[in-house]
Amino acid sequence: MNIEVAEERDNGVLVLLPVGRLDSANARTFESIIMDHIGNGEQHLIVDFSRLAFISSSGMRVLLIAAKRLNASKGKLVLCEMQDHIHEVFHISGFDQIIPILDSRQSATAVF
Amino acid sequence: MPEDLHVTLSPRLSKLHDLSAMVEEFGDEHGLPVPKVFVVNLALDELITNAVTHGSFENASDPKIEVHLRVDHDTLILTIEDNGSMFDPTIDTEPDTESSLDRREVGGLGLHLVKSFADRVSYEFVGGKNRLTLEHDLKPASG
Repeated sequence: MNIEVAEERDNGVLVLLPVGRLDSANARTFESIIMDHIGNGEQHLIVDFSRLAFISSSGMRVLLIAAKRLNASKGKLVLCEMQDHIHEVFHISGFDQIIPILDSRQSATAVF
Repeated sequence: MPEDLHVTLSPRLSKLHDLSAMVEEFGDEHGLPVPKVFVVNLALDELITNAVTHGSFENASDPKIEVHLRVDHDTLILTIEDNGSMFDPTIDTEPDTESSLDRREVGGLGLHLVKSFADRVSYEFVGGKNRLTLEHDLKPASG
């Protein structure tokens, strides 16, 4: 299954905006997109959740893999613009302790 | 009074999108808050993915998953039945939610999330089927 992922540059940092659902049916597609960017040398990455209505553990797994890979090469993954109920999922999982989650895009770009 | 949602589907991940649209329509009809619709769709994604990827249906001649969603007074009740091999999702180990990024294990979170969000969870194996019931209170507990 496909997932639409919009891409922007914000102060030189690549921003990925997955649209709609990031679930077990399309997580592999999202994984290829994000890992291709990292493989092409992107060290700093923002995933902006403003257009994402749903994520399951399959989608979170991809973000964890990407964060680990970037961390290993002294890069960084930052998440932002999450709705409250999605933030809750990241909190229950303990992901908010290991991946920075910022309220706004502006504060996310300020991390770099 | 809006009707219950009854869906029978074959265990395939490609069914999740259509199923989530039906749950959202059910949520609209019953005036459910967005976070409650979200946790139902999260539970369906996690449980169906779990059943499909762990090969629960290898010995089933006609693999099926039945989903029943209803509102009873102030409780949202989701029942999922499948004719795969016996699996009690209420007895699993706690996933790693505390170690550092380098050491954090990938996976094992799905069922933990489902159970964390539900107010009550029950499982039984009846008539050759797994039946999991998740209850979500629609009003916060008083007092």
